[in-house]
Amino acid sequence: MSRRLLIAVLAVGALLMIFPFVWTFVTSITAGGDVLTTPRLIPEKAGLDGYRKLFEVLPFWRITLNSFVLAVVSTALLLITSSTAAYAFARLDFPGKNVVFVGYLATLMIPMQVLVVPLFIEIRAFDLVDTYASLIVPTIASAFGVFLLRQSVAVLPKELDEAAFVDGAGHIRIFLRITLPLIRPALVTYGLFAFMSSWNAFLWPLVVIRSREFMTLPLGLASLSGEYTVQWNAIMAGSVVSIVPILALYAVAQKHIVQSVAQAGLK
Amino acid sequence: MSARPRLRLHRAAALIAVAALALAGCSKGSATKDTSEGGVTTVRYLTFSAAPDHLEDLNGIVAAFEKANPDVKISVQTAPYKDYFTQLQTSIAGGTVADAFELDYQNFVTYAQAGSLADLAGPAANDKAWQPSVVSPAALDAFKHGGKQYALPESFSTVVLIYNKALFDAAGVAYPTSDWKWSDEAAAAQKLTDKAKGVYGDFQPVSFYEFYKAVNQAGGTFLSSDGKSATFNSPQGVAAAKWLIGKSGTTMPTVTEIGNTPDFDTNLFKAGKLAMWHNGNWQFDTLKDVPFGWDVVVEPGDAQKASAVFQNAVAVSAASSHKDAAFRWLNFLTTSDQTVTARINSSWELPPLADASKLSGYLSKTPPSNRKAVMDALGKQSLLPVIAKEQQMQDIVNNALTKAAGGEDLQKTLDDAAKQVTALL
Amino acid sequence: MVGPRGVRKAGIVALFLLPSAVPLLLFTIAPMFGAAWISLHSWNLQSPMQWTGLDNFARLLGDADTRDALLHTLYFLALYLPLVYLLGLALAVGLNRRFPGRSLLRSMYFLPVVTSWVVVALTWKWLLNPANGLVNHVLESVGIPGPGWWASPGWAIPSAVVASVWKDAGFVMVILLAGLQSIPEEYLEAARLDGASAWQSFWRVTFPLLTPSSYFVVVISLISGFQVFDQIYVMTGGGPAGASRPLVEEIYDLTFRYGDAGGASALSLLLFALILVVTVVQQRLQRRWVTYV
Repeated sequence: MSRRLLIAVLAVGALLMIFPFVWTFVTSITAGGDVLTTPRLIPEKAGLDGYRKLFEVLPFWRITLNSFVLAVVSTALLLITSSTAAYAFARLDFPGKNVVFVGYLATLMIPMQVLVVPLFIEIRAFDLVDTYASLIVPTIASAFGVFLLRQSVAVLPKELDEAAFVDGAGHIRIFLRITLPLIRPALVTYGLFAFMSSWNAFLWPLVVIRSREFMTLPLGLASLSGEYTVQWNAIMAGSVVSIVPILALYAVAQKHIVQSVAQAGLK
Repeated sequence: MSARPRLRLHRAAALIAVAALALAGCSKGSATKDTSEGGVTTVRYLTFSAAPDHLEDLNGIVAAFEKANPDVKISVQTAPYKDYFTQLQTSIAGGTVADAFELDYQNFVTYAQAGSLADLAGPAANDKAWQPSVVSPAALDAFKHGGKQYALPESFSTVVLIYNKALFDAAGVAYPTSDWKWSDEAAAAQKLTDKAKGVYGDFQPVSFYEFYKAVNQAGGTFLSSDGKSATFNSPQGVAAAKWLIGKSGTTMPTVTEIGNTPDFDTNLFKAGKLAMWHNGNWQFDTLKDVPFGWDVVVEPGDAQKASAVFQNAVAVSAASSHKDAAFRWLNFLTTSDQTVTARINSSWELPPLADASKLSGYLSKTPPSNRKAVMDALGKQSLLPVIAKEQQMQDIVNNALTKAAGGEDLQKTLDDAAKQVTALL
Repeated sequence: MVGPRGVRKAGIVALFLLPSAVPLLLFTIAPMFGAAWISLHSWNLQSPMQWTGLDNFARLLGDADTRDALLHTLYFLALYLPLVYLLGLALAVGLNRRFPGRSLLRSMYFLPVVTSWVVVALTWKWLLNPANGLVNHVLESVGIPGPGWWASPGWAIPSAVVASVWKDAGFVMVILLAGLQSIPEEYLEAARLDGASAWQSFWRVTFPLLTPSSYFVVVISLISGFQVFDQIYVMTGGGPAGASRPLVEEIYDLTFRYGDAGGASALSLLLFALILVVTVVQQRLQRRWVTYV
């Protein structure tokens, strides 16, 4: 009984959750550039000019590809750098470990708005302005990922490591063969967040990119807003296009997050 | 054992691939490649007004320029207005600023005073095609600082009163004329407002950009003539603020009804639910196809007429190593026939030419029929107060007006704001 | 700790730490020092920097606008943190049990996390419209006067909190779900066999094992909450008349609109110190409430 009630409540809540997305989608297929402050569930006049404008004004496939490649590379790098550091903090002992960990966290405590100018000057000094590398560079490592993965490594039973060590395995092998497979749900979760973060990044790409061929999706969508007029259906179409890959990724990732980790390990 | 060498080969291949990718990742984009090859100078130009609607026009002008000047190539970079100045300032700070860039009047003083703009006297002397008499002298003066020319005026637009003729007809109210005063506008707005039908008589935002000219319209000044103190808390300033604030909720939708959507008023007018609209001639193109008749008139004043005029200019970066080439581009961009034709035909902002007859093509287009009002407004201009700390000043005034609109004592908020603004000067 | 000691151990530690430490040092910590350097100067990003020493810090510590911005940020955090955690926790627990449509529901709750802020703000400003929004409509129909939400100085921040909690609950849910997955079914089985009620199972078994993930959520939410900007800006623009302006909006304004990059950097260092202290305190308190099995 109470289970049915629970599901009902959750279902209603879920409808509230998807409502803005539905509104976005409906606006994107509304003909004409206007949107009034009252949302509609059914468009007055349906038309695909929102999507058409996206392709007219922007080199759309190119910038989507840019964003995609960037996000994939960034995610791969982040998974590697974060999981290794997570293992170090959760499984290795060394003097000053807590201080170093707080040092890692400290990198999250200054807002991008402040880092942008000095980082830009530094990238200029490396002569990397307006290059693909300059977009990747701030996203090679992240204390957020290190923290998230550290928590999941820390809950793994140490007996597994000790057994493997007795069998002659070193840290590298333990990390690759035991730890990584066991924290797969967390890796997938973090991979998703890392992808999203790169996919939606705006301020840094705005500042460091000049050439149109490097443009990313958020920059492209921002350029749809003129100084005085706002083409809502195009902007909403851009939003939809921006969200769909992430959702697809989440749907795929879901399967990997649902896994009973400890059971697999203890057996 | 035989697997080992293959594994090593795979690892080596992977490493080489990664290294190659890393190197490729460091290669520069097209906009940053070397700027002088084989006698052709590349001039980088940053703009906000061209995207997204006028890129084609700009590209046409670029093509025409490059044809006439084969030794110069223009590399155009755009950024949306909202983010433009963030990008511009960061590029100046990092030493990567474009050779030439666009500025609006509000920001001009800040950049001129900071020394980021090149004095155009030198490059102008080196450009045989430069004829200063082509440009409106008032516009040229606006972009002087300390007596030196730091930018070339590129375009202007004016704010006028746009009105819906159908609504006026239906309510039996006479159309606005150039003799109208505030009281006439208020009376008409009352008659035209029908909240039951969701129809409003008037729309004028309560903001800095409306306030400073309203102060002039009331006969007062925003800043003192020596520019050292704020005078908008005078009785005329108070009257101007009352004029703006009084509309919300009576003849104009309230803040909550507007909901902070940026183009609420545009949509309201296009839907035929707004009788009078204080907005600029940049809206003419958007309103081309509305199903009702509309026209424009110079904004009513009270003690006098004073209209808002917005100007954009283009400047050469002080750090540029191609100042002469950049100036030749800017000269062409602002005064060539190509530019004038393109701007008029696509309803892009107008070039500030000394010879207004060149703009006759613009004036003869309809709607609206009374396009002359755009030029008349120029003649009765309320000069936008611009100081080095422009953004702070605008924020202070906007906050004061919002507070007063929210119910706080008007005189007191204006006095406080005036004190804060004077401290900035 | 298993494994080698001495130099080989140092080598291992380096191997595992350097891939993240080097990029962080080069591309985050170095700019942080850059910002510290800027904070000792007066700079409008265009003219050469002028040395001002600690003047920026002194000025900002006494500045009324900064004080207000700090209060706004703290107000946001105090409301946001407990709400987003509790809602995320409820969702994670509710969506952990197997039932048909669970995957679909989880995806729907995650959707706001990926939806852009522009859309979220439009939605919530409409829902929370003081005049004719759905929320006030419902409130008034049960006799509660609807507050002014984003149009009123007092309710502007709560309106941003509502939108942010709604948007981020799915994120917390995903993190906590991952944490719940790692709790062996045997523990809960054992508790049930011992006669524990659902609440007792949760409080005595589930929650303690969830504390590592919860700790992550709390610390990350604190660190990012102190730096809140977009969430408030899209809902209220920092208004009305600056009544909801958070610290990072002031930092942005100082850098890019008021020509005071030095002040902005100084302010961000002060904020940094505050966040650091709070985080270190959290680290210490960890021992009290977080159980790592």
